[in-house]
Amino acid sequence: MQQPLKHIIHKNTFWLSADRCMYWEEEKALIVADLHFGKTGHFRKSGIAVPQAVYKEDLQRLVNQLQHFQPKKLIIVGDMFHSEANKELDLFQKWRNDFSTLDIHLVKGNHDILHDEWYQKCEIEIHQQEWIVHDFCFCHDLTDTPLPTHHSRLYSFTGHIHPAIHLSGMGKQSLRFPCFYFAKKFAVLPAFSRFTGTHLIDPEKDELVFAIAEEKIIRVA
Amino acid sequence: MSLPLKNTIGYRIVCDWLASLQRQPFLFQQQTWQHIINGQSGLVNAPTGCGKTYSVFFGALIQFINEHQKDYRNKKNSGLQLVWITPLRALAKDIAKAMEEVISGLEMKWKVGIRNGDTNTTERARQKKQMPEVLIITPESLHLLLAQKGYKEIFLSLKIIAVDEWHELLGSKRGVQVELAISRIVGSRLTSDNSRPMIWGISATIGNLEEAKIVLINPLKSEGVIVKAEMKKTVEVESIFPDEIEKYPWAGHLGIKLVHKVLPIIQQSKTTLIFINTRGMSETWYQKILDACPELAGAIALHHGSVDMELRNWVEENLHSGKLKAVVCTASLDLGVDFRPVETVIQVGSPKGVARFLQRAGRSGHSFDAVSKIYFLPTHSLELMEAAALKKAIAENVIESRAPMLLCYDVLIQYLSTLAVSDGFDPGKIFQEIITTHCYKEMTEEEWNRILHFISSGGNALQQYDDYKKMEWEDELFKIKNRRIAMRHRMNIGTIVSESMLKVKFISGGYVGVIEEYFISRLQPGDVFTLAGRNLEFITIKDMTALVKKSSSKKSIVPSWQGGRMPLSANLGFMLRKTLNEISSNLSLETGNGELLSLLPLFELQQQISHVPKENELLIEQIETDDGFHLFVYPFEGRLVHEAMAAILAYRISRITPITFSFAMNDYGFELLSDQPIPVDDSNVYELFSPENLLEDIQRSANSTEMAKRKFRDIAVIGGLIFQGFPGEQKKARHLQNSASLLFNVLSEYEPDNMLLRQSFSEVMEQQMEEARLRDMLNRIQESKIVITFPQQLTPFCFPVKVDSMREDLSSEKLEDRIKKMIPQS
Repeated sequence: MQQPLKHIIHKNTFWLSADRCMYWEEEKALIVADLHFGKTGHFRKSGIAVPQAVYKEDLQRLVNQLQHFQPKKLIIVGDMFHSEANKELDLFQKWRNDFSTLDIHLVKGNHDILHDEWYQKCEIEIHQQEWIVHDFCFCHDLTDTPLPTHHSRLYSFTGHIHPAIHLSGMGKQSLRFPCFYFAKKFAVLPAFSRFTGTHLIDPEKDELVFAIAEEKIIRVA
Repeated sequence: MSLPLKNTIGYRIVCDWLASLQRQPFLFQQQTWQHIINGQSGLVNAPTGCGKTYSVFFGALIQFINEHQKDYRNKKNSGLQLVWITPLRALAKDIAKAMEEVISGLEMKWKVGIRNGDTNTTERARQKKQMPEVLIITPESLHLLLAQKGYKEIFLSLKIIAVDEWHELLGSKRGVQVELAISRIVGSRLTSDNSRPMIWGISATIGNLEEAKIVLINPLKSEGVIVKAEMKKTVEVESIFPDEIEKYPWAGHLGIKLVHKVLPIIQQSKTTLIFINTRGMSETWYQKILDACPELAGAIALHHGSVDMELRNWVEENLHSGKLKAVVCTASLDLGVDFRPVETVIQVGSPKGVARFLQRAGRSGHSFDAVSKIYFLPTHSLELMEAAALKKAIAENVIESRAPMLLCYDVLIQYLSTLAVSDGFDPGKIFQEIITTHCYKEMTEEEWNRILHFISSGGNALQQYDDYKKMEWEDELFKIKNRRIAMRHRMNIGTIVSESMLKVKFISGGYVGVIEEYFISRLQPGDVFTLAGRNLEFITIKDMTALVKKSSSKKSIVPSWQGGRMPLSANLGFMLRKTLNEISSNLSLETGNGELLSLLPLFELQQQISHVPKENELLIEQIETDDGFHLFVYPFEGRLVHEAMAAILAYRISRITPITFSFAMNDYGFELLSDQPIPVDDSNVYELFSPENLLEDIQRSANSTEMAKRKFRDIAVIGGLIFQGFPGEQKKARHLQNSASLLFNVLSEYEPDNMLLRQSFSEVMEQQMEEARLRDMLNRIQESKIVITFPQQLTPFCFPVKVDSMREDLSSEKLEDRIKKMIPQS
């Protein structure tokens, strides 16, 4: 696994990990998007036999990242849980107990439809639309959350679209990778879960894109 | 064969009725009736339009009359006697009408029912209460019957299962559905009263009739018979020549330019069918014919799979009554009852196979002595060579076989769920039935147990954190008890997996047809596109429906439907190579037929800058252009085999040196393109085309994974891993939606031994790559002379490949190096 890549916004330092998350050094916070926990369970409950191992691996990867960065906070910009409660979420609760000192902040996404009590029980702090910390705003889907004009300095971290970048070269070669996407006023994180599809982005000239390719992070635009 | 049949009362009654219409039974019909009276099963081989329906249908009637001599006229509600399986819903109505005419002519009380996706719930309920004597049904609807509680009762009185157009079903998963349904009907009858129904297939001529028969009647464990209608139709093929032969041909370029040559043919003929290979091109053709000859408006129609069903029915009716002068159609009119007024058929572009071409030709000239006339209109000049090859193939009677499918786990999983939805199934008993089918006869008990494990426990799971639920074990039976799961399963029965389609409706009301979501998603409101021959302005999407209004705009986009493109058949490829041989050995040719003569300028150019290969030669061209370094190879084996060969060749070359390729292919050859020189020369070329380690190399060439991924989508839908959703349920089901490629990746990583995943690879091997054909080709190449040329410019042969490109990826370079290499260029 490659070392995380440093990226600076508003004089704050963010470390981009090829494990599809980033670490905010000043706030000691790990930021992730689109975990979709319980997705495999949701399918299986409906008689669709998808392998559960992918969920287990997602959880394990999150543990590894927490152990590596030792954050105080975990910020999730939406779609932490895929759908209604199922047995797979019991595994998450058990996991939660092992990280009881960790502050978890969830900015709700379109998939986060569990009851408030459930989040309370797991000690997850809920933010409905957006959560603003200093010069930064956390929200799930940028198109749902118009940026307040008086916060012109505000830089947003979002998820939802599961961004991927398309690279083409000579001989009409073409490849597609999940990516971090940094626009002028906002960033879109890759989906943390590996059981998610991706959506191709089309960056402008002055925007930055970091592709995640075979456990490496490579700046491509 | 002596026919004791003739002494039976049923025979006399049927013959009397036929005689009252000045008709007589054909010999093959009488032979079939005799076999049916004898309780035999088998296959009737007869072309469309000479009474093949009557062969089996009258057999059932004669048998019934013989058994109920006294009261055959008045006997009502006799229960299901004849199941008539047809591949096409559109056929059902016409067949039912023909049967009803006979029944009322014989003054009998039999009822004919239709059961398919269009059958309404009232009719279904009526059928449930009292089955008609004849049920005309599609393979999908037959499986839906098996998903009904108490289905076994329905089949207790059944005498004959007839499968119409068996040659169309054989070789597809719908054919496997037929095999499974037959095994269940036969099995349930054996259990209940130790009797068996007869099974009769009806098939056009294919290369493997004997096998077709065995596949169909295998569960009966009897020999069966084949009855052949000895009627040979004369087929006359005429090519439509362009005024000038383009030396640089490319697909789609030429065809439409020849519209003016089609008009006189349409005008001189009573009714003309114009077969086009793709739906998109058929829209274009329809427009262009109208543009060129506006007075045809109203007398010309369009018929393809995305045209609204009602409109298609209207077209078919008016074809019957002779009101239409011409119909532009796709394979949608390949099958079906005869349209008598059709005098002429025009085939635009390659028909890809001899059998298909003959079938289309057979759409014209229906009286038994009439000549079937078919015109061949090339879409690029090289296709004229195909016309010559087709003529030769027809003369030599070289007709393709349809290979039946083997061990389709996806269809089996669907079938087991179907049984679990209705009455539940006893695994031991069903296993015994399943191995009587041709498709699953090689299945081992171990594989069977793995399937049972998969459907009951859902593969690998996290034990106490799993709530997988599908089948439950109750009273020694596997059952699906959850109503939502059962309903979802019923909605998903079938093996035809379509692209996600949207309905197209006028904003003012009125339905136009269906269109792929993929196409619509790229349109902006205000864009104009063509569907069902109309120019439509796209307004918006609402509730899975694209709303449009009429547009008078002259410019419009023709949708490209992503239907599977048929590859050139092995037989036609073989004939093509022979034809080429004729040209090559006779380049100064003054003899020979019109097609080849007209192509002379093209071949002369090809010979001048490269080479025209003989039958025992393989041509390879290496050309450098601004795009990079090209390697063109021309085996004439069809696009799918070429795709596989390109991948293998790319893999083998990449072992010599790190190199990245993209591929392109058509039915004649393929191209490898790279940004660095491609190291293929006299010293290594035979080795690169060696049949040794073929299997390993296919598996190692990254391409087989990409191809398997494409196959996997259908398999996953059929096997119930991807839920397509159904109307009105779209929103609720959203959290259950998933893309096939994601599922493929996840399974490959976490459950590589998944049976459906493995099946997608084996389907790639057997059907896509056609491993057997690939091996034959490599063996042939080993014995051929490989000619490598280095032309200074693109050649007539490579041009259509270059233009008609479809890219695939393969790399042996380190991923990272490759990305870095791409960056400065992107």
